[in-house]
Amino acid sequence: MTFIHLSLRSVFSAVCLVTATSGLWAQQIPVVETTLPNGFKLLTVERRGEPRISGGWVAHVGSANERPGITGIAHLFEHMMFKGTPTLGTKDAKKDMEIIFEQERVRDEMRLEEAKMRTALRRGVITEITSPEAKTPRLKELEVNFKKLIEAQRETSVKNEFDRIYTTAGASGMNAFTSEDMTAYFISVPANKLELWMWMESERLLRPVFREFYSERDVVFEERRMRTDSTPTGKFTEQFNALFWDAHPYHWPVIGWPSDIPAISKKQADEFFALYYQPQNITLILVGDFQTTDAQKMATEYFGRIPRGKQPAPEVTTLEIPSVGEKRYYAEAETNPQVEIHWRTVGFGHRDSYALEVLQQLLLGRTGRLYKALVLGKQVATEAFAQQDSRKWAGAFAVGAEVKEGKTPLEVEQALEEEIGRIKVGDVPAEELQKVKNNFAAAEYRKLSANMPILFQLIFNEGLGDWREVNTGGAQIQAVTAADLRKVAVDYFKKENRAVAVYTRKAGAVADAEDPDMSGLTPEQKPVARQIAAALRAETDLEGMKQKLAQMETALASADPKKQPLQKFIVKKIIERVSQLSAK
Amino acid sequence: MLIRTSLVLLTVAACLAPAAIPDRPEKLAFPELRYQPPDPSLHRTQLKSGPVAYIIPDRELPLVTVQVTVRVGSYLDPVDRQGLASMLGTLLVHGGTEEVSADVLEERLAFLAASLSAGIGADSGTVSLNLLSKDLLEGLRILRDVLSRPRFQEDKLELRRQQTLQGLKQRNDDSADIEAREMAALAHGPDFWAARYPTGSSITAITRQELLTFHHRWFHPANFTLAVSGDFDRTAMTAQLESLFEKWPFQGELPPPIPAVLHPAAPGVYVVDKDVPQGRVSILLPGVMRDDPSYPAIQIMNDILGGGGFTARIMNRVRSDEGLAYSAGSSFPGGTWFPSTFRAGFQSKSRTVAYASSIVLEEMQRMIDKPVTEEELRTAKRSFIDTFSENFNTQGKVAALFAREEFTGRFKKNPNFWKTYSQRLESVTTAEVQEAAVKHLHPDRVTLLVVGKKEEILKTHPDHPVKLESLYKGGIRDLPLRDPVTLQPLPSKTSDPDR
Repeated sequence: MTFIHLSLRSVFSAVCLVTATSGLWAQQIPVVETTLPNGFKLLTVERRGEPRISGGWVAHVGSANERPGITGIAHLFEHMMFKGTPTLGTKDAKKDMEIIFEQERVRDEMRLEEAKMRTALRRGVITEITSPEAKTPRLKELEVNFKKLIEAQRETSVKNEFDRIYTTAGASGMNAFTSEDMTAYFISVPANKLELWMWMESERLLRPVFREFYSERDVVFEERRMRTDSTPTGKFTEQFNALFWDAHPYHWPVIGWPSDIPAISKKQADEFFALYYQPQNITLILVGDFQTTDAQKMATEYFGRIPRGKQPAPEVTTLEIPSVGEKRYYAEAETNPQVEIHWRTVGFGHRDSYALEVLQQLLLGRTGRLYKALVLGKQVATEAFAQQDSRKWAGAFAVGAEVKEGKTPLEVEQALEEEIGRIKVGDVPAEELQKVKNNFAAAEYRKLSANMPILFQLIFNEGLGDWREVNTGGAQIQAVTAADLRKVAVDYFKKENRAVAVYTRKAGAVADAEDPDMSGLTPEQKPVARQIAAALRAETDLEGMKQKLAQMETALASADPKKQPLQKFIVKKIIERVSQLSAK
Repeated sequence: MLIRTSLVLLTVAACLAPAAIPDRPEKLAFPELRYQPPDPSLHRTQLKSGPVAYIIPDRELPLVTVQVTVRVGSYLDPVDRQGLASMLGTLLVHGGTEEVSADVLEERLAFLAASLSAGIGADSGTVSLNLLSKDLLEGLRILRDVLSRPRFQEDKLELRRQQTLQGLKQRNDDSADIEAREMAALAHGPDFWAARYPTGSSITAITRQELLTFHHRWFHPANFTLAVSGDFDRTAMTAQLESLFEKWPFQGELPPPIPAVLHPAAPGVYVVDKDVPQGRVSILLPGVMRDDPSYPAIQIMNDILGGGGFTARIMNRVRSDEGLAYSAGSSFPGGTWFPSTFRAGFQSKSRTVAYASSIVLEEMQRMIDKPVTEEELRTAKRSFIDTFSENFNTQGKVAALFAREEFTGRFKKNPNFWKTYSQRLESVTTAEVQEAAVKHLHPDRVTLLVVGKKEEILKTHPDHPVKLESLYKGGIRDLPLRDPVTLQPLPSKTSDPDR
């Protein structure tokens, strides 16, 4: 079989894949942008074919806007936005508010007790602040009072009503996420329910009620246990991240430090809402089967009710300090050995970010340079990755690989640096660069397959700084040259600018792998074989072994055929041990 | 494209709007919306060369997807060769073809920005090609070669073997993996095909010749079903597909039926000891087939119990009321080949594992004792019926869904399944929901699996003194942690004198 090189069946494809520098006209997402008088930005994309609408909004706030003591609040807050309004979630708004007020009074007292517990922890009186046994007697009393208030509230509450109304209206996929840079809320509704979306989303922004604040705080802590504390590398990547960022608030995890989550108060959440969830700080986005004019009219009516914030939400002003020395992190974890190298680079929209994204693709994947060099060529790794992470306020580039058994993390680290070194001397042929660009061009089409992926593109780009990037970024990528790649590699991949993480398997966490020589044995023979093999590894009597070997070889000839595989195995292990001992 | 609209007009329009915004969403009126799903028979073609194909043109983007579903699966793994089918799936597209080496082939596909992937799961295999329509002819030629004349290059086999063996070592690292494995064994019986896993020796033993033999037995057009969508003319595509599968170089076999007899473990509380701060819990009961006449009622029953996310009872109590878990819920998938197990599950800190389990069991009992409310029934129905169009929101999804219906035999039995889907759910009553609960939920006979730090879990919580051992009369049974490579039980920590 022969390959045809670039069959030019249409002008269209020729534009995209051969010259590839212009002609990205076909992939433009037809966004209409308007700004409401109170500051909300509204983006709409009309799209027919399916009678549904994907709706979402992004608040320009994430964990980077937090401070020590309330880390995790942006994410906790995201959870609270589903708790309802004065008319959703309760049958008696007045009583509900009274109970919430009373709950806060009890909580204030509980916080005094929690402060005592932190003192006890510092003095060594208790060792574990989260253990139920560490609670002060007064705290236990207050908890009983608090529980009574919860029960009183339940008498009039309507559980998860916000969700129930959407679900009963045929909505689906309601969810939200929080990152370092943004908080986004999204859902898909039937095309005839555009007004419901307007009602629900504007109501929860106009007059949210943060009921069940404290049980939701516990939910978030369980989320932390699930994602960070109970996964093989969660705790370690969190610590490495804190090592990587010095001054910048990217230093702390989005989920929050374990001591901060249970200390956040509802009052702090209220303040957070007032500051960051004002109209000027939010972009509304709709993609699907509707008329833009209808959407604009309804948005003006519904979201227009929300007063403009008095002062703009503050920016993150802390700039990362330049790194002046290499950082190294070493951890033993329940994982196969792996190595990662991270460098500080640049964030979203920076002129160098495009070259770094191209570089990522050049290194990544089965035909990328890292796989070819480390997995196929030098055979020091089993898999490899590369990533440029362009965040809103700053960015980083990472490469990494899992160490192949029998190889060392050092060999992998050197191989990774060697590949980076090749980029620094400008070794990227035109055809290879074109391959990478072809994939970016095709991805421009692939991302347009349905409403939700288009909504997400807009959310991410708007959240990072500007939705227009979805339509302009492609051309910037296609304009990247081999010289640009060399320049960014030289500028950013410096030793003093890097942090290296090395993971090795925690000793004793896992038993030894099965010896491949045991593959022919029956399940009953294997435990015996394992024991004998272990005994032989400890054997030091060379002469005794040689005698044993001679006996075994004689016996083998006349052995029961069923036992032969086991005997052959033993013979092989004796020979291995004899040759080891002889070599010494 | 960026259009800025004048806000003056909008503001005027808003001022003229007559109705005030109501205080409750029920007071809003919505236009009528009816949805009819696409008709499979309009897209179905029986190719002369063997496969049935669902072919749906879609000119929106210059892309084409060809997905081949293959009647194969890990249930056909030969004795002592667990992992062979899965490895074959990987090497089919990453092991070269008779005429082109693996590296050259992958490089070419990458240059074309084409994605060619393959995977063999438990009950079926998929080979999927997505590429720019200008490259279609070349792509189809590659697809034929990959499907009919794979090389299974020795060096790629060795590489894959090594990667797989090293991957096996991670099997006990994540408590979620342990839970999934032990759950499969408890639900099906350890010898059932869906609970058999590769081991170091089964992976080590696989040879290239065995891959070729396995491939020649099952990879031929009579075992293929196609889903094809994208930028093409239907007639031209049909002809191209005919030539893609004609004159197959070898004769294959039709696979034997998928074994369907389960030997689930005896009810009880089973614990795997693993040092993590959060316990993972799975509560299991025997399931049903998806064509069970009462399946629509079961579907709704499960949605109200734990399938419906935040509108479901388990989520409301375990998460929203008590703050005991981030994710909590249940699933009751109707089985395609064998009755699929019911599962309720959550993850909670060690000290509240027993308490949260007791709440889930309580909610199961409540489904049996009392009919669900009309409001719950309505919410559950709408959540299925009014989201129905999402199953068909891209032509790629439509083609794939219909091909799956063909593959699993439901199209033959009931070609109107999707057309009548909404109707069937609409007719379910609260009495039928309760009947389904009475028949299928047995909180006194569950198999309850816990993976977590046993010592802490048994301590329970002073505020919630429910004991794990009280959840089932038979007490707690320990399940051993298994050697990640051999899957043989490891000696338990308590009996190990070194600790």
